[in-house]
This record gives sequence, structure tokens and C-alpha cells, in this order.
Amino acid sequence: MSIIYVLIPIAMIFVMIAVAVFFWAVKSEQFDDLDRQSVSILFDEEPKKPTSSDHPSASSTAQDKGLPL
Amino acid sequence: MTVLSCFHCNEPVLTGNQFVTHINGNDELMCCPGCQAVSQAIVDAGLLSYYKFRTEPGSKQTALVPDALNAFSAYDLPEVQQDFVHSKDSIDSVSLSIDGITCAACAWLIEHKVKQLSGIQQVMVNSTTQRAMITWDNTQIKLSDILGQISRIGYQAAPYQVDEQEQLAKHNSRKFLLRLGLAGFATMQVMMFALALYTGYFTDLDVQYRDYFRWVSMIFATPVVLYSAQPFYFSAIRTLLSGKLNMDVSVSIAIGGAYVASCFATVKGTGEVYFESVSMFTFFLLLGRYFEQKARQKASVSSSNLHKLVPLTAHLVTDNNIEEIPAKKLRLNDIILVKPGEMVAADGMVVEGHSSINEAMLTGEQMPIDKQANSEVYAGTINIEQPLKIKVTALGQDQLVAEIIRLQELASNTKPAVALLADKLSRYFSGTILTIALITYLVWHQISPDDAFWVTLSVLVATCPCALALATPTAVTCATAIFTRLGIITRKAGVFEKLPKIKHVVFDKTGTLTCGTLSVGDITLLSELPKEQVLAIAAALESSSRHPIAAAFAPYVDHQFKVEDIHHEVGFGIQAVINGCQYRIGNAIFTGAEENSAKQQIWLSRVIKDQNQPIAAIEINDNVRCDSLLTVSELKQRGLKVSIASGDSSGHVKQLAQTLAIEDVHTGLTPEGKLKLVKQLQQTHPVAMFGDGINDAPVLAGADLSVAMGSGSAIAKNSADLILLGDHLSRFTQAVSVATLTNNIIRQNLLWAIGYNALILPLAVTGHVAPYIAALGMSASSLIVVANSLRLLRFKQ
Repeated sequence: MSIIYVLIPIAMIFVMIAVAVFFWAVKSEQFDDLDRQSVSILFDEEPKKPTSSDHPSASSTAQDKGLPL
Repeated sequence: MTVLSCFHCNEPVLTGNQFVTHINGNDELMCCPGCQAVSQAIVDAGLLSYYKFRTEPGSKQTALVPDALNAFSAYDLPEVQQDFVHSKDSIDSVSLSIDGITCAACAWLIEHKVKQLSGIQQVMVNSTTQRAMITWDNTQIKLSDILGQISRIGYQAAPYQVDEQEQLAKHNSRKFLLRLGLAGFATMQVMMFALALYTGYFTDLDVQYRDYFRWVSMIFATPVVLYSAQPFYFSAIRTLLSGKLNMDVSVSIAIGGAYVASCFATVKGTGEVYFESVSMFTFFLLLGRYFEQKARQKASVSSSNLHKLVPLTAHLVTDNNIEEIPAKKLRLNDIILVKPGEMVAADGMVVEGHSSINEAMLTGEQMPIDKQANSEVYAGTINIEQPLKIKVTALGQDQLVAEIIRLQELASNTKPAVALLADKLSRYFSGTILTIALITYLVWHQISPDDAFWVTLSVLVATCPCALALATPTAVTCATAIFTRLGIITRKAGVFEKLPKIKHVVFDKTGTLTCGTLSVGDITLLSELPKEQVLAIAAALESSSRHPIAAAFAPYVDHQFKVEDIHHEVGFGIQAVINGCQYRIGNAIFTGAEENSAKQQIWLSRVIKDQNQPIAAIEINDNVRCDSLLTVSELKQRGLKVSIASGDSSGHVKQLAQTLAIEDVHTGLTPEGKLKLVKQLQQTHPVAMFGDGINDAPVLAGADLSVAMGSGSAIAKNSADLILLGDHLSRFTQAVSVATLTNNIIRQNLLWAIGYNALILPLAVTGHVAPYIAALGMSASSLIVVANSLRLLRFKQ
């Protein structure tokens, strides 16, 4: 039974680490957007076939097909 | 026949297969050119994952007006940017509010679309708050380009005005989450040792182990008492200093007393310890506060998002040219040029030009008002036909809009306060508990002085107001979640208690009961031309006009009718040559027709040798919202009185009242007049007011409960308790149902909390409550309250 004199302090250290991790997570805004982070794993990191000519300042009438201009 | 739905936004496709986008090897059907353009932009950017992983359909696109693509240029003015852009060297950063985010896939889509642009340093989109944080290099890309790119994929981004509560709410939410988390961790640990100690009541636990467990519990409970429970102490001290009582007073006494006493017991090795009760107590109470805080934060975020910063710019006329400057840099007697379709930037006097101005936002009058030299114009109104030169006569606080805002502030100060049931209860509750605790102490002091302190402590701990503190916040949090699902934003506390009490509903007309957009009604043909042709000619004539009437003809445009030689006669109508024949559209005088004052009509005529030949009389209606009739009749069924209070003085209001069967109609009211009317009605019973314009702001601030339309003006939304996002009026009756249900749940919760306390109090007073019974009762009563509140979420629309 005297083993608890060793085990409980170890458990306390674990709890302290858990609390520290929780504080760090809250402060680094990880709880600010819960529905976004949960699905980010599904998305590709890089989009397929990125079109290099997609410069904003270029007039983009080609892509505005169907716009009643 | 099945109606196909749009691949992008899931709305039914009523346009056949005109609009198609090639996605992933299939031709997908779209409902409108807007959705087609947006989906095409998404495909071209290679962001197909959006369609693969989205959990909600996209938002319906209204076809992009070419003007919208240039409207962002004002955001590049340095004077405008200094309000919301943070600059460091050449790196700028801005926080944008984005409309149209429906799920996490939208956030991903926006991030990757923006990342593809050159000069972007960092993009972070938060789909919960619907905001984006963007950092860019201003030597490579302009803010207007970024906003333009976001609008290309179907989202409207704009800087926003941070609600003054929001910063505070965010900070508080985070603090509460930290306190709650710590209390949670500690409570779990303390509870484990407490269980070991409980077994000590029934079996023999060695004293050395018992004391060891107590010491460990004390170590865990200390941060909870010293850090997590701080808000209760501060609130208690504040209340006591103002000479009142509230729940936090008895809570603080219980937490402080139980903790100190338990520490003594631990050090001395005697008595009882209540560490687990103290920790759990704090945890449950914080849970309730955290819910409240979260709901408050959500409301403040939504209302900040509704406050888009639209930079008001003016074209200043100088000796040699015209330059665009922010409105706040204008000075008295400056001459500004207001082009057709632009907003007037300051109150002023017309010095040159002749046009008509749409003042609906200020007055509720639908029809534009004729303005010529020496007429007064007001900031925030919209110029329709011709360019006007205006001399600025008032700025800032002296403008008509500022007058209305002052009236609004005055009205909100006299708004009837709502006393929350839970607050009233908690005052009496604390007083009662403290009195009983004192009596208990005095009585036990006579019987057995040694036990007096411990019994009194158990009274304070056992009669914990946990369940009482959780009763309202949990119910309100669930109800707020339902409101969000219905598209209703609650901006103020106490809405749920006020809603069922409303006995009289007053509606503004324009933009509330009606859509605020005109449409074509009955057509009386006066010649051999068929109806389709008449409409096509009228549409062709109106195609270049910005008059609200012109928008009504937009659906009838036929490109076979070519318009040449067009003349706008301000205040009269339009004349043009179509396919070699001269036509006029406009009022009776202009077209040589006979006036019929009962209806709002315009006439179309052919001009042959300077002679008008009327072809058709076209009635113009302001479309009644599709659910206005339903809403009004439902409100009447519930026994509520319904009135209309409108700034419009035309016969149209009476006509609308007949359609909707509303007897009590007030027309031609100024903002003050509306406020007076509602104040008068408030003498007899609580009044709810619906509005959307600037002219409704004061009355919205003064009514018992005010509802603004999501499409309304920022000032109106600012003084509203509820905001209807999708402009569905019928949501209001559902809101009343939800609020009634919520009130019932709150009452049940409070009844249960009081009942539990009534049950445990005699046991505590007679000294029969051991720490484990106190802890058990506390958690059971709190869980029952939470479970009861969760029943609300089963509400079906």
C-alpha cells in the first residue's frame, strides 16, 4: 500500500502536464474554430492543376462566361 | 416531372440547361449565371476538393453586377485603410468578415484561392466566426484585388466594425475556458481521492492514508479555489459594496468557508473535508457561466459581422479636376460630384444638375424625390438619374443621420427593462440561505458548540445553488442554438423572457412587410400590341435607368429590341427610339395618358409626329413578402394586435393593409412619430417593432422588443434585439414558440433547483449531510437541470 506514496506524485505530475498542454492549446487559439480543424485532413495541400495565369490584375473576361455583361 | 437542383447551391433550376459547368468530367447544371461563374472560377483555380468534401450547399449567387467589380477600389484609399488595416513596412494585414461561408469546405476554398495570388503572405479563415485574417505585401497586390478575387468564387468579403462588446467577450470567453478546464482537471482528481475517503466512512481506512489523501486533495483543490473561482468573489464583493445580495455572495461564502475549514481539518487531522464539493461546485457554476459567455460572444461576433465597413467616398470637384476622397475628409462648402447610382456623402445643397434621389432608407418613401438646384440632399441617400453637383452644408454630428442616431440613443435609455426571473429568485434565495445558516449556527451553538461550525458549513455546501445557476444559461444556450438554425440572431439578453409577453406587433412597411423592390403588376393594353411586346419595349426603354421602377422590368429584357437616341426626362420618364420607332415611358403627363390616382401606374406610348399614342398602362407594385400574410394571420391567431407604422404616405400602404387584413394603419410618420406611437402603445402592453431602415432606428431602440431585417441598414440592426438573417418574417412566430418553450424549461429547472434545496435543507440543518451526500446531491441536481435543458434541442421547425 505504501507504493501510493510514489505513484500519486507521479500522477500529479501527469495532471500538471495535461493542464499545461490545455492552457497552451487555449492560448494558441486552437479552440476558436472547432468545425474547421476537424476536416482539414481531408483536403489536398495543393490544388490540382493550378492555373498559373490567374493574375488578378489581368482582365478576366474569359472566365466570366455566362455573365450578362 | 422532377425539378433539377443547382449543383452549386441546391436551389431548383428554373432556367432549363442554359447554365452548365464542366466539373470532374460531368456537365453539372447551374441555376443562374452567378452560380455558373462562381463554379467555373472554382474549377479554373483547381479547387475541386471543395465540391468533394463540402457538407452544405454553397450560398445562392446573385448574378454579379459589373459595377460590383469596381466598387472595391475605395478600399485602397490610404485614409480609408487606416481604420482597419495594420501596416508594418510594406506588409499589411486585415481582418475581413465573409458572407456566404456555409461549412468548413468554404474556408478551405477561400484560403487556397487567395493563396494562389502573388504577394499574399498568410491567409487564415475561421469558419465559426466567418472571418478571414489576411496578410499581404502591398507592393505586389492591392486589397481591392483580394476582395475582388474572393467575390469571384462567390463570397462577399469586407472589413467590419468590431462590436464594442466583442473584444471583451472574446477575452472573457478564453479566461472562462481556462478556469473551467483547470477546475475540470482538478475536480476529476479530487473526486478520485474523495471516493477513497468515502470508503473510509464504511470501512476502516488507516489514519495515515486518510490524511495523505486529504493532503493530496487539498493540493488539487487550491488552484481551483484561488484561480478558477475568482469571478464569483469579484462579483460578490461588487454586489455587497452596492448594498445588495446575489447568488455569488452565498457561493463565495460557501466556497471560501468550506475550503478554509477543510484545510484546518486536514492540518489538524480532525473533522470533515469538503474539497471535492468545493471543486465540483466551482466546476458546475463555471460551466453555466461559460455557456452564458459563449452565447454572448456568438451574438457579438454576429453583430460585428453585420457591420460591414463600406467606405463612403466622395468625388471632390477642384479647380482643374475631380478626385476621389473619403467622406470624412470633406469640409464645409466643398463641392462634390455625385454620379448616378452613388450614395450622397454628406448633407448638402444641389448647386448644379437635375436628378431624383431615392430617400427610402431615411424616410420609407419608395418613390425617388425630384431634386434640382437649391434642393437639400442628405447623406446616405442614393442618386438615380443624372450627375449632381452638391455643396456640402453639414458634416458629422450636424447631419440628419446623426440627428436620428441621437434620437435612437435617447430612446434606448428609456427602453423598458426586463427583470429576469432567475435574478429575482437568486436574490431571495441567497438571503434565505444566509439567514437559515445563521439561525442554524446559533441554535447548534446552544446544543453542541463543537458541531455548530460543521453543521453550518454543511448547510452552506449542501444547499449549493449549482442547479439554480445552471437553470437559465443551459436553457438559453440551447434556445440560442435553435435560433441560429432558424437564422435568427439574438443580440440582447432577456429576449427569451420578453418574446412570449408581447401583445402587440408593429410593422414598418417598406423592406419589412414588402421586399422593398418594385415589380410589374397588371397591364392594361390600350392598342393592338400584345403584352409580351409591350413588356419588351418597356424593358428596353428602362434598361439604362437606375430608377427603382427600372429594376422591375429587368426580367423582360429582349435583345432583339435595340435602343437608340435615349433621353431621360427627370421626374417624367424616358424617351428613346426602338427599331426605328419613337417610344416614351413615364408618367401620365409625359405620355399623354389619363391619370388614375387610385393606382401606382406608368404609361407606355408611341410618339408619331409629336403626338403621343398610349399603348399600355402598367401597374407597379412593391412586392409583398411571400410570408407576410401568413405571419400576420398567425400573429392574429395567437391573439396579438397588429399595426403598420410607415414613413410612406402614398395610398399603397392602405392597399397593403387591406391585402394583409391589418386595420390599424399609420402613414407618413417621421422617426419621432413612430417612436411616439410605440411609446403610446406601450402604456397598455409590451410592443414588438419590426423595421429595417435608418428611420426605424429610434423606434427599434425604444420598443420592448425590436426585430431588424438582415438586409436592413446597420443603424437599424444596431438597435435591434433580434435580427432575421434570411428576411423570413414567419421565423418570428417560430421564435415566439421557441421562447415560450424555453421559458417553460427555465421554470421547470428553477422549480427543480428550489425543490432539491427544500429537500436537502432539513437534512443539513439537522446535521445529517455527510460530504459524500452533499457531493452526490449537487451533481445529480445539476445533471437533471442540464438534461432537461437539452430537451429543447428536439424542437422541430
